[in-house]
Amino acid sequence: MKELFRKQVRRLIESLSINFKLRSIQSVITLSFTAVTILAMGFVGFTLYNKFSETAEKNASTSTQQIVNQVNINLEYYLKSMIEISNLIAYNLSSNYLNQGDRIKNLLEVTVSARNDIVTLGIFSDTGELVASTPASVVKESINIKELSWFKNAVTHPDKLIFSPPHVQNAFKGRKRWVVSLSRETNANISGKQFNAVILVDMSFKVIDELCRSVSLGKRGYIYVVDDHGNIVYHPQQQLIYAGLKDENIEEVLERSEGSYIENFNGEKRLITLKNVKYADWRIVGVSYIDDIMTSTKEISSFAVFVLIFGTAFAVAASTLISAKISHPIKKLEKLMRRVEKGEFDINVEVKGEDEVKQLSRTFNIMILRIKELMNQIIKEQEEKRKSELKALQAQINPHFLYNTLDSIVWMAENGKNQGVITMVTALAKLFRTSISKGEEVITVRDEIEHARNYLIIQQIRFKDKFEFEIEVQPEVLECKSLKLILQPLIENSIYHGFEHMVDKGKIRITASRVDGKLLYEVVDNGLGMPDEVLKKVLKNETVSESGSGVGLKNIHERIKLFYGEEYGLEIESELEEGTTVKIWLPAEEGGKNGGGMIEKDL
Amino acid sequence: MKKTFKPLLAVMLVLILFMTSSCYKQDLTASDKNEKKKNIEVIVKSRKMDFWKTVRMGAEAAGKEFGVNINFNAPDDEEDVAEQIRMVNDAIERDTDVLVLAASDYKKLVGVVERAVNSDIPVIIIDSALESDKVACFIGTNNVEAAMKAGEKLIEYAGEECDVAVISHVKETATARQREEGFLKYIEKYPGIKIVAKEYAFTSSKLAEKITADIISKNKDLDAVVGLNAVSATGAARAVSKLGMAGKIKVIAFDSDPEEIEFIEDGVIQAAIVQNPFSMGYLGVKYAVDIIHGKSVPKVVDTGLKVIDKENMYTPENQKLLFPFVN
Repeated sequence: MKELFRKQVRRLIESLSINFKLRSIQSVITLSFTAVTILAMGFVGFTLYNKFSETAEKNASTSTQQIVNQVNINLEYYLKSMIEISNLIAYNLSSNYLNQGDRIKNLLEVTVSARNDIVTLGIFSDTGELVASTPASVVKESINIKELSWFKNAVTHPDKLIFSPPHVQNAFKGRKRWVVSLSRETNANISGKQFNAVILVDMSFKVIDELCRSVSLGKRGYIYVVDDHGNIVYHPQQQLIYAGLKDENIEEVLERSEGSYIENFNGEKRLITLKNVKYADWRIVGVSYIDDIMTSTKEISSFAVFVLIFGTAFAVAASTLISAKISHPIKKLEKLMRRVEKGEFDINVEVKGEDEVKQLSRTFNIMILRIKELMNQIIKEQEEKRKSELKALQAQINPHFLYNTLDSIVWMAENGKNQGVITMVTALAKLFRTSISKGEEVITVRDEIEHARNYLIIQQIRFKDKFEFEIEVQPEVLECKSLKLILQPLIENSIYHGFEHMVDKGKIRITASRVDGKLLYEVVDNGLGMPDEVLKKVLKNETVSESGSGVGLKNIHERIKLFYGEEYGLEIESELEEGTTVKIWLPAEEGGKNGGGMIEKDL
Repeated sequence: MKKTFKPLLAVMLVLILFMTSSCYKQDLTASDKNEKKKNIEVIVKSRKMDFWKTVRMGAEAAGKEFGVNINFNAPDDEEDVAEQIRMVNDAIERDTDVLVLAASDYKKLVGVVERAVNSDIPVIIIDSALESDKVACFIGTNNVEAAMKAGEKLIEYAGEECDVAVISHVKETATARQREEGFLKYIEKYPGIKIVAKEYAFTSSKLAEKITADIISKNKDLDAVVGLNAVSATGAARAVSKLGMAGKIKVIAFDSDPEEIEFIEDGVIQAAIVQNPFSMGYLGVKYAVDIIHGKSVPKVVDTGLKVIDKENMYTPENQKLLFPFVN
């Protein structure tokens, strides 16, 4: 099972790597484009996200602050109204107006009737006697009012308004409610009796609860109130706090000054905003959960991730397409090139697409055409070379020449010219030995000159000293390489064309020397020369004389060029009645290199 | 190729962008709609007693906090075991995710509770235990320990040599059994303590009052009455108070309904063992939510107890326990 799985994975990877070669233009473009896109998107996303969350945090903090301030204003307003109630009662108590118990009761009733958030409004004498209250109440026998903290605090701080922490008001029979008590001492003047009285206003949590609940601090945020001793005055989950099921970090709330800070509470980050309440030593604490108020940030971040994923997918798709588009013509050319590699030259690329592609296609076509031409040229040249070599071979054993020579030898033998016969036969033998020269095409200058000399000797005897010759060779070139049998046809030309119809004795001068680093043969005759029009044609056309070896100047010229290159070959100067000079330029190659010769042509 | 390429690309781009935004929107709405509110059934022993009202407050506070529906049910009468069984059966038939139960009977509810557990409704037991190990969690007072505290208070107020009457509530419910067990265990060590009567008042404080009056009339030397729950204790205190025996016959009580508090203030009840019903309700629902979310919950949770007497009842600490906070 595992083996099978591994095999399949391997197959998948193989097929992938076949379709997607890592170094191909397409993959390079795709990868780099994708990488650049992702980087750019990532960078932009990250920067925007940071900026956004920073702003969001600031906004959240500011808006929480505003909300808490608003609650504070409302709460202060509410406390103020309570204080005003106590002021009103205090004012009435000190005036003479309330000299009857009924009036006091009336006052209290009127004050409370308008509102349902006052549980008890009461007036106590400094001895702890209940003077009046609404609703009418009876103090429990077991209770000593003077022992109760709201009473004690009011008496010990006569000039202060005392707001108690939440407590169960247990002074009266039948009612036990959680209240916040406002108590103060005041002067009373009732029925002419002056005494200190304590006013008690028991507030329910109704209004405070409404004030604190009416605002929202995110989904789970809330507002609570503590007093300066750390007692929770109001909390939306007050009973949970009382039952010890919930907790608040009150110590830090008391330590901090107004403003906001972020705390880590039960593993959650919360933004705490503090605001002091006037009149009572209370503090409003706004709690908002960072997770809550920063939901937009969360949303943005998940959206960013989402966009990034899709952007990446899109970038991959787009770059794959684009790279396919770009690399398509190149791939096409590559395919065609493969075919060319295999030797197929009949290929033509359609010229279309982008400028560069067009240019490339055009150049490709031209290149293929040029290669085709060059190939054809080489084939042709090789053919010609073979042809001229064949002709040179023919020249080696020209039967006509052999017949004439042998005829001359016979003639000389008949006339008893033994010396002439010996000379001629010796020369002929040497001539043939050079001609054969072990079948090699390249021989030394010494051998070539020797061949020419023997040829001249034979011809001189045949033409009965109608001409004389002179050979002059620089010793340094003797060992140079030379193409075989290139002098003989020139000499033949001089003899047959230059001297045949000449009255004077002909002169042939042959030199071999090194000029400008090249090897130069010169065949100079004083024969009839050629007219210009012939001279122009002689190297271009096949002008083969019926007599002679049949090897034309052009043939030699071509042969040398084929063998050594375009810069070598024949040069002919001729003047009618004056003579002709043929120069043969060859590379000056020192012997020793076997075979030498063949200079490769650039194809 | 070139001509078809650009429009194709543009179409793809638009398509992808469209897909992106629409998918994303779907994502957002999907996560909101997926969460249906869970239903948690809370069944307690009685509708009447303040104790259960406080349990309900706790349960509803937790329901609000964790965003679950609370279905609160209770028989009118604590003895009505059949009705409670019927309620549990109803809850099983309904779309209930977790059942929070205070069992009226230690044994009779085992069958139906196990049926609930078998129908993939986890059960959390509060206050009164159940004889089953299939429940997920028990949340409540350690009643044995609570009764031992009552015994301790008895000795403190009535001395080591006294005649005592025990008024319990429902014989078969776990709280009664365990409290009796704990109380008897504690006074075992004191041979001077004589239990002159042990009666059951069920859920009627009137019955408890009558029983107590009878016992008092029969036992002239009675030194103390122990009421093992709010109803029994209230009835006993009423009898003692009416017979003018307040302070002479000591009353050791359980729980803290308003009448009991008055009796404490008036010195009729010397000490009350106060449990934490709000926590029971709250934690019952909280752990139910935890179970829904696949979190593990403790097998037993002790919500604690307090001994309240006249002197300490208004300390800030104790008034928070005695008087449920109502805005």
